[in-house]
Amino acid sequence: SEMSKDMMPGPYPRTPEERAAAAKKYNMRVEDYQPYPDDGLGYGDYPMLPNKSQYERDPWYEWDQPDMRHNWGEPMHWNFDMYIRNRVDTSPTVVPWHTMSKHFLLFLSIMLIMFGLGEIYPAYRPVGPKQYPFNDLYLEKGGDPNKEPPTVIHYEI
Amino acid sequence: MAWAPPPSAAQLYRPNRFVSLPAELDPATYDTSPEKLRAETERLAIRSRLKRQYLLQLNDPSAPAVIENPALVRWAYAKSQNVYPTFRPTPKTSFLGAVYGLGPLLFWIFVLKADRDRKEKRIQEGKLKRSPFSVFF
Repeated sequence: SEMSKDMMPGPYPRTPEERAAAAKKYNMRVEDYQPYPDDGLGYGDYPMLPNKSQYERDPWYEWDQPDMRHNWGEPMHWNFDMYIRNRVDTSPTVVPWHTMSKHFLLFLSIMLIMFGLGEIYPAYRPVGPKQYPFNDLYLEKGGDPNKEPPTVIHYEI
Repeated sequence: MAWAPPPSAAQLYRPNRFVSLPAELDPATYDTSPEKLRAETERLAIRSRLKRQYLLQLNDPSAPAVIENPALVRWAYAKSQNVYPTFRPTPKTSFLGAVYGLGPLLFWIFVLKADRDRKEKRIQEGKLKRSPFSVFF
């Protein structure tokens, strides 16, 4: 595009002047600008913004892009495409996360344990093999109609 | 005996990677100090300058077809073309590279080999019939 090389992201800023220049490049205050730690992972001087999804931004403010809740020229999060409103949502929940996960895991584990126990120690009423009428369904199972079927008696008197 | 102060609502909430602290519980959003006010006004100045630039381009009668967002261009550049120049082999990155690059490969090699060895052993013992169309076993 037409942007010059010094408007593009570059390597990690080492001196305070580089930090100030990078903050100006990204349209941020020098105090707000915090690059990712220099681990060699490939972030360069891109600012580290708080990991909050676009859901948390004010829905009633007049954003330049209302669906993205993003203003023109505002630095975008590294994972911006993850934090859009169709995807990951980090807005605060009514119930704290640890309570929710505790309840869910307790319920799930108790149900799974009970089902497992039910498989190991099945409990049902005594059953016998199913008894069919008409001499054990002789004709329906393809027996010869001219021959005498073997008598099958299911009862005892 | 002095007890510790009861945990605040923010500490009871325990925000983590998946949920953030609600603004009502966050002490940083409470009574503003002069420094915070100055910071907010500076941010507002930057924001209004950018908004002015954007609205000038938006309402321009001889408008360009697409208003290019430099923040978007920078973001795309940072994620695609700025990774290789700023990458540096460190112990952490080499370890992660080995784990993510070689790990799945070796895992599936061993799993598939073990599975096929077990199947071949069962065929040799006679428990499994060799399928007529298969090339491998």
